[in-house]
Amino acid sequence: MTDNVFNSISEGDEYSFVVENFNRTQFVKYAGAGGDFNPIHHDQTFAEAAGLPTVFGMGMLTSGMLGRVLTDWFGATSVKKYGFRFKQRLWPGDVVTFKGVVAKVYDESGTKHVDVNLSAVNQNGDVLVEGTGTCRPWSA
Amino acid sequence: MAKINPPGFPIERGKIHEFANSIEDDNPLFHDLEAAKTAGLPSVPAPPTFTATAAHFSGPEEGSAIQSLGLDLRFVLHGGQELEYVRPVFAGDVLTSRQGETKSFVKEGRRGGKMKIFEMHSEFVDQNGEVVIKMVNTVLQTGGVVKDD
Repeated sequence: MTDNVFNSISEGDEYSFVVENFNRTQFVKYAGAGGDFNPIHHDQTFAEAAGLPTVFGMGMLTSGMLGRVLTDWFGATSVKKYGFRFKQRLWPGDVVTFKGVVAKVYDESGTKHVDVNLSAVNQNGDVLVEGTGTCRPWSA
Repeated sequence: MAKINPPGFPIERGKIHEFANSIEDDNPLFHDLEAAKTAGLPSVPAPPTFTATAAHFSGPEEGSAIQSLGLDLRFVLHGGQELEYVRPVFAGDVLTSRQGETKSFVKEGRRGGKMKIFEMHSEFVDQNGEVVIKMVNTVLQTGGVVKDD
């Protein structure tokens, strides 16, 4: 299934999905799953004391979802490199578009490789996370 | 609060299922052992950022890795991460994190004045002593409180 995508992929190809209306429960789910219990991400009282209007999502939640662009598109075991930089915070109520655009398709050691530019952008057009990924077919 | 850590960083199928749910990933390979085996995989693979869950297993020595840099934690931000996968990680692997060098440099910030940037290199080694993931974590210390634009 996913190996075939490497045969038909071209520079400029795109893949995206949208996550609607982020909520605090998602932040708490990620806290439990990922192990980030910084109260700034789940405790309203703590967030207000820090001068913030409310809690905000972990950058690693946004980058975790952004990584799905690579695994949805090229397969669960296809990721060779994934790098990301946090630019803006994720707030409750945000609608975020997670998107990948193929930057380069090339052969390395006889294996097809794909470089992808990645972004997570909110409803205001603000980039929350930007990144790059490299995928190639992998089999056990 | 007491926190007891087992040796190493065990990669578990239930934890992968929970983590995949938390990033709303419904790819059956992350949830269903039979689907993974049918796809020719030894077990359920871990999503690319699953290494974040190592936080559940980190002892005080990892926490002090940041503190030993002499950072003012009020002004510390996670800037980003570079991950390189030698092979996919699967349920059943037991990884160990090995801290490498830390590089630091100063940069003019877009907001909040001067920033000190730390690039912390580490590796995850599997049960056979092979490096499976190389990681560079970037931590920023700003000159003052950082506000969104």
